[in-house]
Amino acid sequence: MTGMTAQMIFLAFFGAAAVWFGIVVFRTKSMVRSALALLFSQTAVGLMFLVMQAEFLGVLQIMMMATEMSVMAIFMVMFMMDPGGMGAMDMTHQKRLSLWAGGIGLVAALLVIWLAAWGPAVQEIPGAAQQAADLGRELLGRSMFVFQSAGLTILTAMVAATMVAIAPRKERKE
Amino acid sequence: MTIIWILLAFLVGAYLIAVLESWAVHGRLQPARPAFSALALLGRESLLARTPDRLFFEAGPVLLLVAGLLAVAVIPLAPGLIVTDLATGALFLNAALAYVLVALIMAGWGPNGAYGMIGGWRFLGQFVAYAMLIVMPITAVAMRAESLSTVDIVTSQAALWNIAYQPVGFALFVVAAMGLAWLPPLDLPTAPGDLASGIEAEYTGVRLAVLRLARMTVILALAGATVTFYLGGWLGPWLPAPVWSGLKILLVAGLMVSAGRLVPRVREARYLALSWKLGIPLALTNIFLVGVIALVVPI
Repeated sequence: MTGMTAQMIFLAFFGAAAVWFGIVVFRTKSMVRSALALLFSQTAVGLMFLVMQAEFLGVLQIMMMATEMSVMAIFMVMFMMDPGGMGAMDMTHQKRLSLWAGGIGLVAALLVIWLAAWGPAVQEIPGAAQQAADLGRELLGRSMFVFQSAGLTILTAMVAATMVAIAPRKERKE
Repeated sequence: MTIIWILLAFLVGAYLIAVLESWAVHGRLQPARPAFSALALLGRESLLARTPDRLFFEAGPVLLLVAGLLAVAVIPLAPGLIVTDLATGALFLNAALAYVLVALIMAGWGPNGAYGMIGGWRFLGQFVAYAMLIVMPITAVAMRAESLSTVDIVTSQAALWNIAYQPVGFALFVVAAMGLAWLPPLDLPTAPGDLASGIEAEYTGVRLAVLRLARMTVILALAGATVTFYLGGWLGPWLPAPVWSGLKILLVAGLMVSAGRLVPRVREARYLALSWKLGIPLALTNIFLVGVIALVVPI
């Protein structure tokens, strides 16, 4: 029982940390601080996985987000005409649209949580090695198509975004 | 108790690597040099840059030290002599070392100075080059061991060390590790000579001492990872297991801090081009070959 309570307290703590860092993302006036706040928000989500004894997912989340958010930071700094990200800028824009999109997203997420049939909770948590093996089978089985298409979509979006962001250069004369 | 022994062992290791590095830099073997320079750093005033991001400035070196120590936690020195044998050890090592990047960005950007900032962003550029070449060789190592646990990875090499089983992976991993530990010729973030020590430029006194100690820990963790993944960890004849681990780790670390100094510093763009055009195809070939060998020949 005490183990369960400690687990709940840590889960709530890291959840609150994730939300807090998420708020900091928009409250700061610096691209770099904003990116690192997002990073630590995602790290807190990774720690929540660890508290829930999903070792592989937690470690993976903590690793991936450190690298992804840092790379995102350098792309932001490169494209923003702000050498080194030292200048100040507002982290919010299109406020009305963002509020609506965020609100609808929140309601949709809550509806999914509330309405989805989650099935019975697992009584015995499999060991960490078993979890990794199960995850591998899942990824190479029925989830393969979903993951592959998601990966390809993200890659296409990244290439397209970079292409759009590069200022067009006048064609060189031969 | 095990944890204290391991920490002590790694502290001694960090000191010895500092001696080796000063030997490689100055050409004279001076065993007391790191102790004196540490004392000098601790005695000096630790200056604060003008209008720094105080949080990043203070947290950078500490986060680097924490990342190094967490990486050390999954390196086995002997059977049972490991801080924690995680089922996801090899992945955990990667996750811990990913925060080296975060720490250096914070340490570079925090002091609000040009040299440090350029150093920090340079390391991020360098990261884009080395990152895949850390992860992909480890994938091949884990494929052979059929486990991510570092202890299982060592025992999987009982018949044949991975340096012979997958030499391409070994070469790629060591070079990428030197990039991760910003060792010459890949020392772009500090680049003494053209960047006035880069990320170290704004740090003085005790903060610089922490930064340097943290860097030694990262080098040690990477040497430990190389030994665990490719040189059979504690395995070896006659000598006791921890001695083998210690000797191998010191040898690898010594090579890492000294060999690169014979080569001129590599430009960022060239390092990126080499990593992506040559390194990644080689790493993919390595994964494919290891997969075929693991399926066909049971070693």
